[in-house]
Amino acid sequence: MFNNSKFTKPTWLSISWLGLMLFLAVFGSLLPFKSWKFVYEDDLGVVPFSPGHILGTDNNGYDLLASLIAGTRMSIFIAVTAVSLGGLIGSALGITAAFVRGKVDTVMSTLFNVGLAVPNLVLALALVSVLATNVDINQSVPTWRRVMVLIVSLTIVLIPILGRIARGATLSWSGRDFVTAARSMGMRDRQIIMKHIVPNVLPALIAVAFLAVGVVIIAEASLSILGVGIPDGASWGGMIARGRNDLEYSPHVLYIPVIFLAITVISTNQIGEVLRSKLDSREAKV
Amino acid sequence: MAGSGTAHMRNTVDSVLTVRDLTVEFRVGNNKTVKAVSGLSLDVVKGETLAIVGESGCGKTTLVRAILQLPPPNSGEVIFDGTDLTLLPKENLRSARTSMQMIFQDPISSLNPRMTVHQLLDEPLEIWDRGTRAERDERINKLLFSVGLEPDLVLNRRSYEFSGGQCQRISIARALALDPRMLICDEPVSALDVSIQAQILNLLLFMKETHGLTMLFISHDLAVVKAISTRVMVMYLGKICEVAPPDVLYSNPAHHYTRALLNSVPIPDPTKQIRTELLQGEPPSPMNPPSGCRFRTRCVGASALCAEQEPQLREVSPGQFVACHHPIV
Amino acid sequence: MSSLMSIKNMSVNFDTPGGSLEAVRGVDIEIPAGMSVGVVGESGSGKTVMCRAAMGLLQGSTVNRTGTVIFDGHELTAMSKEQVRELFGSGMAMIFQDPLTALNPVRRIGAQLSEGLRIRLGMSKSDAMARSKELLELVRIPNAAAVLKSFPYQLSGGMRQRVMIAIAIACNPKLLFADEPTTALDVTVQAQILQLLRELREDLNMSMVLVTHDLGVVAGNTDYVAVMYAGEVVEYAPTKKLFADMRMPYTEALLDSIPRVDHKSGTRLSVIAGRLPDPTHRPAGCGFAPRCKYAQDKCTTDHPELKTDPDGHVYRCWFPIGEAL
Ligand SMILES: Nc1ncnc2c1ncn2[C@@H]1O[C@H](COP(=O)(O)OP(=O)(O)OP(=O)(O)O)[C@@H](O)[C@H]1O
Ligand code: SF4
Ligand code: SF4
Ligand SMILES: [Mg+2]
Repeated sequence: MFNNSKFTKPTWLSISWLGLMLFLAVFGSLLPFKSWKFVYEDDLGVVPFSPGHILGTDNNGYDLLASLIAGTRMSIFIAVTAVSLGGLIGSALGITAAFVRGKVDTVMSTLFNVGLAVPNLVLALALVSVLATNVDINQSVPTWRRVMVLIVSLTIVLIPILGRIARGATLSWSGRDFVTAARSMGMRDRQIIMKHIVPNVLPALIAVAFLAVGVVIIAEASLSILGVGIPDGASWGGMIARGRNDLEYSPHVLYIPVIFLAITVISTNQIGEVLRSKLDSREAKV
Repeated sequence: MAGSGTAHMRNTVDSVLTVRDLTVEFRVGNNKTVKAVSGLSLDVVKGETLAIVGESGCGKTTLVRAILQLPPPNSGEVIFDGTDLTLLPKENLRSARTSMQMIFQDPISSLNPRMTVHQLLDEPLEIWDRGTRAERDERINKLLFSVGLEPDLVLNRRSYEFSGGQCQRISIARALALDPRMLICDEPVSALDVSIQAQILNLLLFMKETHGLTMLFISHDLAVVKAISTRVMVMYLGKICEVAPPDVLYSNPAHHYTRALLNSVPIPDPTKQIRTELLQGEPPSPMNPPSGCRFRTRCVGASALCAEQEPQLREVSPGQFVACHHPIV
Repeated sequence: MSSLMSIKNMSVNFDTPGGSLEAVRGVDIEIPAGMSVGVVGESGSGKTVMCRAAMGLLQGSTVNRTGTVIFDGHELTAMSKEQVRELFGSGMAMIFQDPLTALNPVRRIGAQLSEGLRIRLGMSKSDAMARSKELLELVRIPNAAAVLKSFPYQLSGGMRQRVMIAIAIACNPKLLFADEPTTALDVTVQAQILQLLRELREDLNMSMVLVTHDLGVVAGNTDYVAVMYAGEVVEYAPTKKLFADMRMPYTEALLDSIPRVDHKSGTRLSVIAGRLPDPTHRPAGCGFAPRCKYAQDKCTTDHPELKTDPDGHVYRCWFPIGEAL
């Protein structure tokens, strides 16, 4: 679909980096490392490139490489799940709204606009607080539960963003004559959506989804820093939050996850932009 | 009764399509409506090509879309093959529509850019389960041949690889796939180059003869209409001005608007230039149409009566119907 | 008769990924002062490129223009971009097919119209506005004061084209290039715009190059016609002469293929089969040969030379109509 021209160097770097992150997320647990929770009692706050600890350890004796791999799994899992769910629900709502028009569309676009009017982080923060009401902050909450809450909140944040893109694209494609032609040859609405609308709307959505992954990774990190995300350094955000305490003596504990996060977000943005510009030039031809 | 009258209706058993008192409104802004088509009636008899002409915005496209129930009109009847489409349940409408196929103005936008020609032509056959894979493939090849395309060269290509004329051929093949009785063409050649126009017009005429089709042909180009139609209907702001056979209409227009329209057509012959007074200004907004005759604000023959009373269609010569208080004689 | 613009042996090539594309090929044309010259041809025949190249509007490293263009005593092809630009407005001006894309969508008509006057003629803001209003009245826009305050999208297609014409004639150009100015308009509005152009040409003593694909528009609005095919001017003659006595088989085929209101209904159209030749691979012989009913063997091998009849009628054909073999 997008194979008609060569990628530039930054794009290749982005693809490679994301490939590496994906690999760590999926196969990280199979790599021959001790659990990230293993405490190296004798190696507290070791600097990077030390023997046995290529990225060093923090002041509690956790190995940073092992932590990072575990954090990658969590951050990528949250981001991909939230974007997939948000994309699925958002595009279902957006496409339906644009295709049905009328009241459904008015209600839906109003909801989207309200969702978009509230800053992402504020909305996510509010959602996490609401969804986690029955969780006693002082009690130790199982991590899976916090992850669920986080994913649900981020999904809700993403629905209006992706939904609006889907709605806009659907509006422009469903106005084309081939949709009318399909109707006049007796196609059902559901078939028209699946065969004529979705395949045309999808590329635009995929491009935006890449950008959304970046947004979600940052949001997840911000929430963790604010203390409502994943505790104990189980994600990049969690590591950053914890690294703040070690800033004075072991700055690398903070910098390393920040660098990982930054490169990842830059990469998703780069790929999203490339896809989008490819799409624009192709659409201009169509 | 509101509307432009029904004197031109033939009410014969041969009518393939009969439209009665059709009105289509669009909401614009707060509680305002545009009557894009206003109490309009027409009938199309088997084997005939009824052309509808008029300036842009006069409601031509809206009219044919309402006939196809895309979307359904606000009021009126659309009787196709004896059934009123406006009363049909959705499921029956789906199958009724297949005998009425459409060709659009923009050849590129009428074909899904992601589908190959084979997929495009197979789609209607697949929806209605017409034959086995092999039978359908044979039919697709035949259709492509009949519109002058070489199946082997085009089957696996997509619409953006073709010129406008070729896309229009593919559209025609697709429209004929389900053996419709009626072909509705909305400006099918306006987007095409002069030398290609003739090819497509001839193809449409040929298809009409070989498939025994009845045609509804929309165009703003009076020369194209004259070449292809057997009956012409002139529209202005959602209403009918005049209905007549082409030779009568073009040589003796009875409505002032028809004459003005004809006088604006450039004739490719320097010795035949007509320079009468031109139609001034542009059509008024359909949101707020003039009282009485809608054309009166631009008409040279308008009188006080024209502002008070809406003219009804009446026959002024055999087969020529005009809605005007003071027709040209 | 003095010539206002003379184009000599002008060719335009574009470098494309598919090789060199010859859009215009050896064009020779004189545009007589005070006259209207029509340029007709199928889309892709090179009409727009020819006009833009003549005006020096084609820029960029992929464009190669050769030949000479002399306008009003200036040899445009020997001048710098800056010097040529000095001639825009008061020397040459241009109007387009789609006035909506030629106008800035977010600026009011008054601002766009007065801008040129202030820059070109150094008028004060209020003078420029007053003159803008006059110009809108000159192009017969009713309610000019209100239109000055409108945005382009608020105007109809015909009104937008009038605004474009007002902008074009603001500095009294000697030559107006009109590229399909009425193609996007309804026939009734087209007739109004063409009439306006005829009157303005008379009043302002302006020459015009009218690009169109419509032979009807040519017949009623031009003094000379250039017929273009595959990048070449294949026939050039006074309009009346051309329609009365066509020499070029292509022109004849084009005229026969168009539906006409002055013919009986149901008249079968004759068709020009096939398409224009690929501009990246121009054939050796006559570009029209595969579609021409008069073609002989020589046509496919030898490129026809430009011939001129004693009366100045120019054509490019080995076997012109009306010549015994
Ligand atoms: N969806 C819509 N909402 C509001 N007004 C509409 C809508 N569609 C059409 N109209 C209006 O209805 C009138 C008739 O439009 P229609 O498209 O039928 O004209 P047309 O004769 O087909 O024009 P053209 O030759 O430009 O296609 C116009 O005034 C138009 O602005
Ligand atoms: S009814 Fe009156 S205004 Fe209308 S066309 Fe006839 S003369 Fe003109
Ligand atoms: S040169 Fe030959 S092919 Fe070309 S136009 Fe003349 S007769 Fe036809
Ligand atoms: Mg239309």
